[in-house]
Amino acid sequence: MSSLFHQSWSYLDPHQPYSEKQKFPGCYQDVLAPPAFFRSLGLPNLAALEPVSFIMSNSSNMNALSADEMERFQKLSNDFEPEAPGLLVSPKQSSQSIAMEYANADPTFATKTNALAITHPMTRVMKRDGNCGWRAMAFGYFETLFSFRDLLRVEQERMRIKSLNYTLDQVGYPEHLYEMFTDATDEVFAQISTAIQNSDPDESFLVNAFNDEYNSNSIVMHFRLLTGAWMKVNRAQYEPFLEPIPLDQYCATEIDTVRSEIDQVGLQALTDGVISNAGFGVEVLYLDRSQGDAVTPHQFTQNCPSDATIRLLYRPGHYDIIYRAEQTVNVAPVVNFQYAMTSDYVSWDQGALSFDANPHLMAIPNLMADPAFAMGGAPMSPVSSVSPSPASPYRLSPTQEMYPSPMQSHAIIPAIPVSSPTPSLPSAAPPPMTSLPSRSNDGPQIRLNPLVMRPSLNHLPVTAPFKNSPYNQAHFRNQDFEPIHWAPNESRK
Amino acid sequence: MASQKRIGKELSELTASPPEGISVELADEADLFKWKVFMNGPEGSPYEGGKFLVNLTLPNEYPFKPPTVSFGTKIYHPNVTNDEKGSMCLGMLRADEWKPSSKIAAVLEFARQLLLEPMPDDAVEGRIAEQYKSDRKRYDEIAREWTRKWAMSGQ
Repeated sequence: MSSLFHQSWSYLDPHQPYSEKQKFPGCYQDVLAPPAFFRSLGLPNLAALEPVSFIMSNSSNMNALSADEMERFQKLSNDFEPEAPGLLVSPKQSSQSIAMEYANADPTFATKTNALAITHPMTRVMKRDGNCGWRAMAFGYFETLFSFRDLLRVEQERMRIKSLNYTLDQVGYPEHLYEMFTDATDEVFAQISTAIQNSDPDESFLVNAFNDEYNSNSIVMHFRLLTGAWMKVNRAQYEPFLEPIPLDQYCATEIDTVRSEIDQVGLQALTDGVISNAGFGVEVLYLDRSQGDAVTPHQFTQNCPSDATIRLLYRPGHYDIIYRAEQTVNVAPVVNFQYAMTSDYVSWDQGALSFDANPHLMAIPNLMADPAFAMGGAPMSPVSSVSPSPASPYRLSPTQEMYPSPMQSHAIIPAIPVSSPTPSLPSAAPPPMTSLPSRSNDGPQIRLNPLVMRPSLNHLPVTAPFKNSPYNQAHFRNQDFEPIHWAPNESRK
Repeated sequence: MASQKRIGKELSELTASPPEGISVELADEADLFKWKVFMNGPEGSPYEGGKFLVNLTLPNEYPFKPPTVSFGTKIYHPNVTNDEKGSMCLGMLRADEWKPSSKIAAVLEFARQLLLEPMPDDAVEGRIAEQYKSDRKRYDEIAREWTRKWAMSGQ
């Protein structure tokens, strides 16, 4: 019965004697009181405040309500919970859905979301229940850990997270208050180990675990407590960003509560205290009305390893997980284009170049990104797009397993016939425009063209298609470089 | 449910070393989620000498939702509804301010502290709050009278 009437009595005119009519002036204000309430709805504060003042100005109508009616309204408002349909954590889905949402919106949003759907084709939607950012980070953490399928690493992380209990003790939480939260997290580690042992094809078990509300909230609360404790132990690092709010108050109202959405400081603290020591990167893409054609990325970690980075998409008041376009294989295919450019090429060692060096084929951009083509002994047709067999000397990027594609590096998959349609396999997508994946030392032994070996690549005699290719190493240090987008579906039809 | 373990531990801690002026028992031995709390009116407050029954109910979602606290003994207080429910809901007891890492002991201490220092700006009984602010003497008188009438005649 009370929360509605939580309001300042200064609203009362001090010169007017108290009257029953004025008993609850502005009582709706508190129910809709920012910030916690709106944050939990995932609404931008200012926009949402507008209707409140409207209600306030019409409050004379409400004064006519009888006490019974007031009580009924009070009860309704007390029981009110923002409607947030859907799963707490959705399965992976196409980012096109985000572009569709904004199709008729502000052109800046439309442009950015369309570009996003290409660079980051998959997303995972979080429920707007005030925990979306926290839950996205927790889920992203476990999902990334699972993607390595490394039992030892899972065990290491389990011990590391467990050791963080020490921080909780340090700031004065009794164990019996937090053990149900740490137990929930521990259970997820156990599930991940089991899933690796059973060779589970995908992370659906994690999605299920995170959609059990009680369980999911326990994990989120564990991450919240660890974040708050970390901040209290490392005060100097965060206090300047919180001023004038004292750090303890910030933790009490923003971190340790149930429905307060994560903000930038909290996200940084969560990253520093819990995530980054796992070796994972954290990057948030901001979708806002700022200038530019693409979302604004912001890295919360020094490094964002290509195979172990949690990426969140931030829209005002809401976080979702987003996945970058696949890196295909960890093989730098630089050499092939160089190869096609030289006319008097003599190979050093025929055995090292088991593929057909047909210059016309070599001129097809991205062809060599196709693992099937690069693979020795595979069919030579450019339409073939099969996964490498386990015997292949090419190492697959571990992130490949994060895709719900039928290709799993550990599973033996028969080569797909050349004629079969293989629409939009991730391996066919162009690599992201940022930079090339680092060359692996134990990768395939492709002999490099002497031109590539030249230290100064800026003097390469580049052809027009090559100049715009993402494989052109001359772009390595050019931050403004944007390759021409190549749509696989159009050119391969 | 995982919370039962926690509730059990909190209960045994509270019975082993209860906070000042507070004693706790289960309303029904079979139900961990309903507690009977007896609270002595704090010294220096108009509730001094009274013994108040406070019902503490833990929701199924505990600890993600706060416990509900209601006075089973009638009490004249700006933060307690003056009806048969006697409910109290403010500060840490509100869902958006509740911290799942809070102890139940802290909830009870908070409630007892409220007897000593009412929060008229956060009142549910506007009339009592107004009186508390403008005519403290009269408020004390009535509160003392109610304490004598309802909280001293034994349970």
